[in-house]
Amino acid sequence: MTVPRSFPVFAIVFAVAYTVAYVIAVWKNYPLFTYHPATNEFGWGIEKPKDGVPAMYWYGWIATSTIAASVAGLIASYLPQRLTQRLWSGWSWVVPLCAMLVFCYMLRNYFLR
Amino acid sequence: MITTLLIIHALLAVALLGAITHQAVSVWLPARKPAGSFVGRFRSVAAPSYANAIIVLYVCTAVVGGVLIYPEFRVSVRPVLEQLGLWAPLGVFDLKEHFTVIGLASLPAYWNFWRPPLADQHARTRAMLTAMLAFIVWWNFLVGHVLNNIRGFGS
Repeated sequence: MTVPRSFPVFAIVFAVAYTVAYVIAVWKNYPLFTYHPATNEFGWGIEKPKDGVPAMYWYGWIATSTIAASVAGLIASYLPQRLTQRLWSGWSWVVPLCAMLVFCYMLRNYFLR
Repeated sequence: MITTLLIIHALLAVALLGAITHQAVSVWLPARKPAGSFVGRFRSVAAPSYANAIIVLYVCTAVVGGVLIYPEFRVSVRPVLEQLGLWAPLGVFDLKEHFTVIGLASLPAYWNFWRPPLADQHARTRAMLTAMLAFIVWWNFLVGHVLNNIRGFGS
């Protein structure tokens, strides 16, 4: 299988952009769509729960982040090589690791009740 | 049906747990001499050969759990846990869903750095990505197990 030479840049930027976009999407509640599991219905953006059954935003957050990260990764992979050759590969684990700590902080109230 | 899916999810998770643990141990604690013992052989596997299997298993486990089972959890299980005031288990489960997504986002990079020929200058990145995925997989496995013990499907 032939892999484009720009794939390493895409992969690093995708991991970083996805993680950052996902944290923001969860924190500010920016789902692309809402899913209502009880009725199996979808709706664009944020919709309130129906019939007392909670609405699910998780899939919407994933969709928002996937679009943002794909765009960022594609843009980065088209940048000149002289700009991307010094991109540190460690960002692909440092940023996700930091995001995991951010989620621990965001969800701290579950453990402090 | 949901019980069948849950068993499939668990079996995929067990396979993934074994593969990622093998790889992580062989990266962080490589065997220095020919292995004779069980632990030595566990440490001396060819780590790169696990990468594709780990990616496929991770995606399959996430799809079965996140797409096919999770809606049922939200409708039938989570409200009960909230009524019982089991906030810590709910918190660790929320972390599980977020960690899963972070792991998915890292898979292209993980695949890229485990793609042969392995570049020496990316050895630390490879090791850290593997350790991070191993932590996520272990966390998800244990949390899923605990949650199922609190209120299993079909109970």
